[in-house]
Amino acid sequence: MNSCAEPLTMARSVSATTSSLQVSGLAKSFDGCSQAVFSDVSFTVSTGQSVALIGANGAGKSTLLRCCARLIEPDAGTIILDGVALSSKSGSELRRARNRVGFVFQKHCLVPRLSALSNVLHGNLAHRSGPRNWLQGLARQEVRDRAMDCLDQVGMAHVADKRCDQLSGGQSQRVAIARALMQEPKMLFADEPTASLDPQSGEDIMELFSSLVKARGLTLFFVSHHIEHALHYSDRILGLQGRQLLLDSPSQSESLPSLRAFYV
Amino acid sequence: MFERVEKTVTPVDKANLSAVDAQMPVRFERPSWLSNILCALFMLFFLWSMSSAGLSLSDLVEGLPNMATIAGEMVPPATDRAAPMASAILVTFQMALVGTVIGIIISIPVAMLAARNTSPHPIVRHVTRSVVSFFRTVPDLAWALFFVASVGLGTFAGTLTIIIDTIGFCARFFAESMEEVDPGPSEALASIGASPIDRIVVVLVPGAMPSFINTSLFSLEKAVRSSVVLGLVGAGGIGAELAVSMEMFRYDQAATIVIMIFVLVFAVEQFSSVIRNRLLRQSV
Repeated sequence: MNSCAEPLTMARSVSATTSSLQVSGLAKSFDGCSQAVFSDVSFTVSTGQSVALIGANGAGKSTLLRCCARLIEPDAGTIILDGVALSSKSGSELRRARNRVGFVFQKHCLVPRLSALSNVLHGNLAHRSGPRNWLQGLARQEVRDRAMDCLDQVGMAHVADKRCDQLSGGQSQRVAIARALMQEPKMLFADEPTASLDPQSGEDIMELFSSLVKARGLTLFFVSHHIEHALHYSDRILGLQGRQLLLDSPSQSESLPSLRAFYV
Repeated sequence: MFERVEKTVTPVDKANLSAVDAQMPVRFERPSWLSNILCALFMLFFLWSMSSAGLSLSDLVEGLPNMATIAGEMVPPATDRAAPMASAILVTFQMALVGTVIGIIISIPVAMLAARNTSPHPIVRHVTRSVVSFFRTVPDLAWALFFVASVGLGTFAGTLTIIIDTIGFCARFFAESMEEVDPGPSEALASIGASPIDRIVVVLVPGAMPSFINTSLFSLEKAVRSSVVLGLVGAGGIGAELAVSMEMFRYDQAATIVIMIFVLVFAVEQFSSVIRNRLLRQSV
């Protein structure tokens, strides 16, 4: 275990050509809070790796994940996403840089009144703006076919025309993953993707992630409260505690008891 | 089966309970002196307002025979001018419909400028909200008088009034409903690099659609009721017919107009209720 008293302020030396995400010196605090959420966080996620981020409630896991795509603006630090330094980007350049990353959220974040197919089509907005990707009725046939294929890959082709507010939690999360696949990302960020699901559905979703990541050669960076998921589905585990990154270790060298220390 | 446990309350328990009672806040607090003064001032103002409002039981009693006479003259309603009245009520509805639809179309972009999560700049938001607030707070009869003086007597003045009234009503509620939409899906699309316009169209508009439909249909009902009154100041529609009938003491004709207005407003309310339920169930 690499868990130690001193924080890991230096990222592992992985060259820029093989890393999907390089973060160094990242810090964030919110207005009105004297203490930082985290500070001086550095790590690297190599291409094709699955990396889990663990930590207790309020440790700053979701904030860190969002900072990596600048959905939340960090106070300090640099982020290099797929070779692009995000810190210097703004407006359309930042949007272009983000289109390499598919995001899956804990609460699915689908548009409830629209059909599953329309929601999957929205993944294409990462590359092409405009009415053709707004609704299933306006989409070109080949794009609709691709969206149906994405739904099929997550086993949800049969709910294509159903409104998303009529789907179960597990079905919604699968549709959200299909939306991310539609985007054809190089990397997947997932923020507690199984937190709102029952144990079996959560297991199924993690299996789905695992198979998609292997089949498409994606890089996966996910936040989880399930230590078992972190151990089983990741190559590396990062641990946030006390506002600092205290763990960066291969998952094979970790165990349930050692990781439970992050939830004390 | 559970056994019933008898428990006797000892003097020590009683002492503990009264100690707890002493710590608890009293159930009813005595109003402060400021509350008493404000209450007394309100009562005095209300009594003064009653005298200003001209409430008079004797006038009401004296007026009851007149009410009975007028009500008697309203029956049976006259049908001699049914055709021009039907034409006027149709024009009233058309005026309300056109004014509402144009008002709603203008309200959508105005609401986007006024909503916190879509406005390009806080100054733009404040200015837009102020203009919308001005449109709403000036009564529709005042707008009607303004437009009659500007563009002349007739339905055009009435339609312009309804457009302004609809913008004042719809733009405010459209903006508020867009602000209340769950920000999650918008953040999800922002995370993949979707443009702000895509996010507004794809997330905020469908999210606020139930409220858009409700507000629009309620606005149509409101416009139909309002367009009836606008005719009284020369802004076209059935209101002018009603004013003439009352001035000519043709209460039987006035009764026909009132029945027609009731049928129109009731029909619009029923229609909007059916449309509302049907649209809200559909997916896109």
